Amino acid sequence: MKVKGFLKDVGGASRVTKLRKELIASGSPVPKPEDPIRKLADALHPGKQVFTVTEIRDASPTAKTYRFSPKNGHVPVFQCGQYANFYLRIGESVLTRAYSISSAPYEARLKDPYFEVTIRSNVPYLVPDWFLENVKVGTEITAALPFGQFYYEPLRDSKNVVGIAGGSGITPFASMAKEIARGKLDIDLTVVYGSVNHTDIVCGDELQKAADACPGKIHLVHVMSDDPEWDGEKGFVTKEILEKYSPEDPSYFFCGPPVMYFMVEKIMKEMNVPRRRFRHDAAAQPGVKLIPGFPMEYVGKKYSITVVRGVHEDVIEAAADEPVAVALERAGIPIDTHCRGGECGYCRSQLISGDIFVSPISDGRRAMDKELGWFHACSAYPMSDLKIKIPII
Amino acid sequence: MKFYKDHYDVVIIGAGLAGLSAALQLQQKGITDILILEKHNLPGGLATSYVRNGIEIEATLHEMMSIGTKEDRLKVGKFFDACGVDINWLRVPEAYRFVETSKNIDITLHAGFEKMAGEIDAQFPGWGPKVLEFMQLCNRVYDSMNTLSVTPMSKPAMLMKHPDFVKTAGYTATEVIDTFNFPDKIVDILTPYWIYVGNPMSTLPFTIYAFLMADYFRGGSYVPSKYSHEMSLKLQMKAEENGAQVEFCQEVDKILVKDGKVTGVRTRRGDTIGCDYVICGAYPNKVYTQMIEPLSEVPDGAIKMVNGRRLSVTTASVMMVLDDTPENLGIKDYNLFSAETMDTDKIWEEGKTTGPYKYLTSICLDLANPDATPEGMCQFSITTLPLVTGFLDLKEEDYYDFKRRMAKQMIDEYEKVSGINLHDHIVEIEISTPVTVAHYVGAWKGSIYGYSHSIDDHAIARLQMKEDDHFIDGLEFAGAHAISGNGMGPAITNGRAAAKAVIDAEAKKNS
Repeated sequence: MKVKGFLKDVGGASRVTKLRKELIASGSPVPKPEDPIRKLADALHPGKQVFTVTEIRDASPTAKTYRFSPKNGHVPVFQCGQYANFYLRIGESVLTRAYSISSAPYEARLKDPYFEVTIRSNVPYLVPDWFLENVKVGTEITAALPFGQFYYEPLRDSKNVVGIAGGSGITPFASMAKEIARGKLDIDLTVVYGSVNHTDIVCGDELQKAADACPGKIHLVHVMSDDPEWDGEKGFVTKEILEKYSPEDPSYFFCGPPVMYFMVEKIMKEMNVPRRRFRHDAAAQPGVKLIPGFPMEYVGKKYSITVVRGVHEDVIEAAADEPVAVALERAGIPIDTHCRGGECGYCRSQLISGDIFVSPISDGRRAMDKELGWFHACSAYPMSDLKIKIPII
Repeated sequence: MKFYKDHYDVVIIGAGLAGLSAALQLQQKGITDILILEKHNLPGGLATSYVRNGIEIEATLHEMMSIGTKEDRLKVGKFFDACGVDINWLRVPEAYRFVETSKNIDITLHAGFEKMAGEIDAQFPGWGPKVLEFMQLCNRVYDSMNTLSVTPMSKPAMLMKHPDFVKTAGYTATEVIDTFNFPDKIVDILTPYWIYVGNPMSTLPFTIYAFLMADYFRGGSYVPSKYSHEMSLKLQMKAEENGAQVEFCQEVDKILVKDGKVTGVRTRRGDTIGCDYVICGAYPNKVYTQMIEPLSEVPDGAIKMVNGRRLSVTTASVMMVLDDTPENLGIKDYNLFSAETMDTDKIWEEGKTTGPYKYLTSICLDLANPDATPEGMCQFSITTLPLVTGFLDLKEEDYYDFKRRMAKQMIDEYEKVSGINLHDHIVEIEISTPVTVAHYVGAWKGSIYGYSHSIDDHAIARLQMKEDDHFIDGLEFAGAHAISGNGMGPAITNGRAAAKAVIDAEAKKNS
C-alpha cells in the first residue's frame, strides 16, 4: 500500500497527533458551561414544581375546576389531552395522582400563566374527594407536567376529531375546544359526551362558550342515560349515535371510565374503525372485578412485601386485590406513579422473588422486562409474599 | 434512611452500554465493589425501547456492529460471550440499499467482501476485483486496530506487522479511496456508512472508515430479538449478579475532587457517596464546567481540551408504527440510505441547519425481526444526523410545531425517493431531536456521537495523547466522548477501556 510516498505515509501517526495538539491548543481557556439543549429539555420537562391554587370554580354541581399558578412563573408547553401529576401527602401516605389538564395550552403562555384540572366528587379515584375537601385558594401543591400521549397529532390523525367522553373524561376535550376557539388548534371537533343527567355535565358552559366562539368548528352532542327532561340524545353512547354524528374519516379519541371504554372499544370494532383512527386515554386501573382474568379467589388475601431501595429494606403489608403501588403508598414509601394504568412505566420496578398478577388490560411492559421479571407497580398485584426493588426517591 | 454504603471502589455514572460494560470488565478482573447510578429509570441510555399503546418500539439501534457470526465472533460478540451475556441476535438481511437520485444510483449490497464486490461488479463490470482489493485493505486495517488496541507495540514492530495500518493512519478516507481511481459512482456507493461516524469523508480518518466498512461487511450486522433493551437489561442484570449495585432515577450532579483526586460523587437527590474511582458517562464538557466540585480543581488544560474539540453530529429521528406489513406497504429494505447527492461535505453543511434533510437512513425493523411489531403492522424509522448547531436557538413555544415540520419533511422526502406512502398508515409516531436525547440521557447538547472523528481529532492521536488528556486522578470517561468514539459497539469498547484504566491504576497503586 502506498498513498503518497513511503516517508509521508509512515509519518502519519505523528502527523495526526501534531494536528490534534494544535486543535486542543486552539481551545479557549474560558469555561463554557452553557447547554441550551439541556436547558430547553428541562424547560419542556421541568419535573416537580410548586404551584399555588389561585382560583376554584364550579364546573358542575358536583365538580370543581382548580387553577394552578406556578411559583416560578413557568408552565411548560403542553398539548391538549396531556395530564399533570400531583404529589400529595395524606396522613402517613405519600401519593401521586394524575389528572388531565382541562385548561387550554394558550392559557399557560399568558403573562400570568396557569393550568387547570377539573375534579368531580364521588369518583372513587383513589383519593376520593381529597381535593374537594382540602384544597383551597392559596394552597401550595407539588405537581409535574406534562405527560401522556393522548393528544391530536397532525402527522397521524384526521383533522376531523370525534371526542367520546364519559363523566369527567370530558376534560381533554374541554382543553381542545378552548384551544380551537382561540384559533390555536386547527381541527374540527365533535364531542359526544355521555352523562347521567344534565346536571352531571362537567365544563358544560365552557364547552358551549368555545363552540359559540367558532361556529362550525366544534359540535357538542350530549347523551343522557337517565334524564327524562332531556330533549337531546338519550341512553348510552351507541354505534348509532356515533355514526349519526361522525364526520368523514374521523379520528376517535376516547376518555372516560373503564366500563365505558369496554363499550366504546366494542363499538369501534363493529364500525370497522381502523386502529390508527382510535385512541384512548391511559385509564387508571379499575377495581379487580373488571380486570379480565383476575384470580378472584385471591381477593382478601394479605401478603408481605420486602421493599429494597439501595442497601435499605422495608417490609410492608399488601393486599392481593390492590396494586403493589397502592401498598407502597399506604406504607408511606414513595413510588413515582404517573398514568396508573401500566402504560407510562415511571413506576417500573424489579421483582426479585414471589408471584404477581399483571393486569392484561394495563400491561405496557417491554418484552424483555416481562421475560426477566420487571413490572409496573401500578398494574401488578401480589399473589404471594414478594421481594421487590424500586427506585430511590 | 441510608440507601448507599459510605464508600465504593468505583462509582459509574450512567448505566448506558459503556457504563455497564465497564462494570462487567471490572468484575472480570476482580473489582466488584461497584455502584452504578443512572439518571433514567431504565438501563441502556440510548440503547433502549419504549411502548406506545402496547406496541414496543426500538428507540435508536439501527444495527449492532462487531458481533459477528457464532463461528467468527467479533470483538463485542466475544466480550458478551466471555461475560456470559446471552443475547438472541438476529441477522440484518442486507448491509444496505443505497439510492442517490442525482446520479440514478440504486444498488443493494450484502455482507461478505466477495459478495458485495460481486454486487458492485454486476452494475459496474470489471470493477469487482478492485473493490475486493479495497475491502481487503479495510479488513487488514481493521484487524490491526483490534490487535493494537489490546497489544501495544513499538513503532518499528508496528510497521513490520501492520504496514497498511501505519501507512494509511495519517490520511483521510477520501485520500486513500482516491488511490484506487474508482469511478465516482463507486466511490458514492462505498460512502453511505460515513454517517455512522458522522464526519465528512474529506476529513474522516481512513482508519475509522476502514473499521466500519470491514466490520459491517465482514460480520454483517445484528439486532437483538427483543430490541436494544434486551442487550441493556441483560448487561445490567449480569453486572448485578456479579455484585454491582445499580440505582435508577439518580442523576449525579457533582464529582467530588480533592488535591487532584476523586473522592466521591453527590446525586441530585443529595446523597454523598465516597469512592476511589469514577467512570463517567457524562461529557467532559459538562464534567469540567459544572460537575467537578470544587471547580478550582479543574486545570486550564481540561477547559482548553473541551473547547478546542468539536462535537460530532446528533440525531433527528421519526419513528412510526405502520398499519400494514412491509410486504403490503412495498417496503423491501431493512436499511435504505437515500441521498440527493453523496457529497458528504455538502450533506455536512445541510446538517448545520434544521432541514430540509436529504440524506436519510430508513430502517424497517420487521425485515430483520419479523416479531418486532404485532401482526399486520410494522415499525419504521427515518433518521438524519445533523449537527446541534441548527437546534441551539429553538424556543420552547415552537418546539412541537418545529418537530412536526421536520418530521413531515423527512417523511415526504422518503416517500418521494421510495414511492411508498407512509402518511396514510401511521398508527403511532414519535419524533426525537437532540432535545429528546438531552431529556432522557442528559447528554451534553443532546449529543450522541461524542467528538468529531476528524483527522485532527484522530482516534490514534487520542490514544497517543491519553496521558495528556487525563486531568484528575481516579476519573475515567466512558461514552461516545471517549477514545473509540460513537456507536453502540465502540461504546462497549470505551467502557472496557475505562475499566482497564482503573485496573491499571489500581495495580500501580498496589505495586
